[in-house]
Amino acid sequence: MLRATGFFYRRRRAADLIAKTLGVVATAFGLFWLIWILVVTLNNGVHALSPAIFTQTTPPPGGQGGLANALYGSLMMSVLGVLIGAPLGIAAGTYLAEFAERHHAWRESVRFVNDILLSAPSIVLGLFVYTLAVRSVGHFSGWSGGIALGLIVLPVVVRTTDETLRLVPNVMREAALSLGIPRWKVTVQVLYRAAAPGILTGVLLGLARISGETAPLLFTSLNNQFWTTNLNAPTASVPVVVFQFAMSPYESWHALAWAGAFIVTVFVLLLSVATRAYLLRNRIDSAG
Amino acid sequence: MDDTTRGSDLLEASRTKISVRNLDFYYRGYHALKNVNLDIPERTITSIIGPSGCGKSTLLRVFNRIYSAYPGLEATGEVLLDGENILDESFSLNRLRTRVGMVFQKGVPFPLSIYENIAYGLRHHFKLSRVQLDERIEHALHESALWNEVKDKLHTSALSLSGGQQQRLCIARAVALRPQVLLLDEPTSALDPIATGRIEQLLNELRDDYTIVIVTHNMQQAARISSYTAYMFLGEMIEFGATAELFTRPQRRQTEDYITGRFG
Repeated sequence: MLRATGFFYRRRRAADLIAKTLGVVATAFGLFWLIWILVVTLNNGVHALSPAIFTQTTPPPGGQGGLANALYGSLMMSVLGVLIGAPLGIAAGTYLAEFAERHHAWRESVRFVNDILLSAPSIVLGLFVYTLAVRSVGHFSGWSGGIALGLIVLPVVVRTTDETLRLVPNVMREAALSLGIPRWKVTVQVLYRAAAPGILTGVLLGLARISGETAPLLFTSLNNQFWTTNLNAPTASVPVVVFQFAMSPYESWHALAWAGAFIVTVFVLLLSVATRAYLLRNRIDSAG
Repeated sequence: MDDTTRGSDLLEASRTKISVRNLDFYYRGYHALKNVNLDIPERTITSIIGPSGCGKSTLLRVFNRIYSAYPGLEATGEVLLDGENILDESFSLNRLRTRVGMVFQKGVPFPLSIYENIAYGLRHHFKLSRVQLDERIEHALHESALWNEVKDKLHTSALSLSGGQQQRLCIARAVALRPQVLLLDEPTSALDPIATGRIEQLLNELRDDYTIVIVTHNMQQAARISSYTAYMFLGEMIEFGATAELFTRPQRRQTEDYITGRFG
């Protein structure tokens, strides 16, 4: 009896060890590439950084310059994307979580379609907006770039809003309704407040995702060598400049591409860390 | 006369606040309440007891029509509040819910300050000056025996309160609107004995001003605090009567089995 137990015990130990080892190896394999990419990007990027990056526009082939126009374009188009995607997404997510209860099949269909949009290749969204807002107008523009980015933000915000609102305890809804307060007021004044950290996280995740998007901008905002604040004109963006400059044969362009990659990477990294820290702090608050 | 109406006989002296007549309740086709009849007397505490799933919470949730927030739930029959049928579509939810307040099993405050938790409902229903609002809030906190504990931190988050304090804040939130009826759905089941004791003491202080209906799975609690008790089983009102009567000389065999623990 004792020997049998010992045998099974050793077998379980061995199985445990194998599973643990496989897990650690898989994690290490994934992290290895991530860290390699980060190290190379940060290393090359730091060396390419200079004040000129932020003050000068993208140079002609072989020349010296900066990324000021691309940074500005990226900023404007990302803000536009969030301004389009976040309100629509919050409204749609609220509808799904709070008001679509009586139409079960319809609600599930909308959720399903939203998930498809969430995982749609961004280049498809770019082509879609190209047909919609570029061909019809006749030229590339920053506006169309912002619209394409908005379509990427939209499903992220729909999903997070929907999910966070569904996490709000039902008793909070019922308590507010029991005070005779109408449903829309309960949603806006009580539930949004309870779900605010989650909804904000969704918006920030959306922003993080579009900061590095290249494909949808190739068909919409294209690029621009010059400084412009006119979103009706083709607009430069950091990812597109990185894409174009990295493929070129010029050393100075390569350096700028590294700098651009560095800035986008650090921005997304900081955004993720800030979001996590905010969420964590909030969780501790509500638990206390 | 059958046994279920025996209660009303005993209650002749006190005025009826809520009168339930032939109430049936359907939950997506499931018959959850079966021809319930009940007269709840004014300004005292009435308990509804019974095993899980007997329909006691469902009955309570009919009294302020909170069930109507969900699709597929339907109540037929009459629930008369001072003689008016609240199930009638023309009886506005706004009016009903200012007259009938509700406190839930888990006291979940709104993610606002202690002050704003109470001010929220008041602001929606009444046009009050700052001074009037302060007075009503202070009064509600006195009524819910919370004032001394929170008077110095009215503007801190209500989530910083203990579980028992949160539940008393929820009672304050409900009584601030000066309802006539206060519904409580297992208000102490998530609390420790000391916090439970405080809530029971509080309910005892409120009994002369409000018609209190409390659903509880704790028979000792029903015996301790309520003047009248209703026993439900499988969606039916089995027995209703004065608490002392029901616990010492139940008329029905089923009631006796339940209160003596021989149930099932």
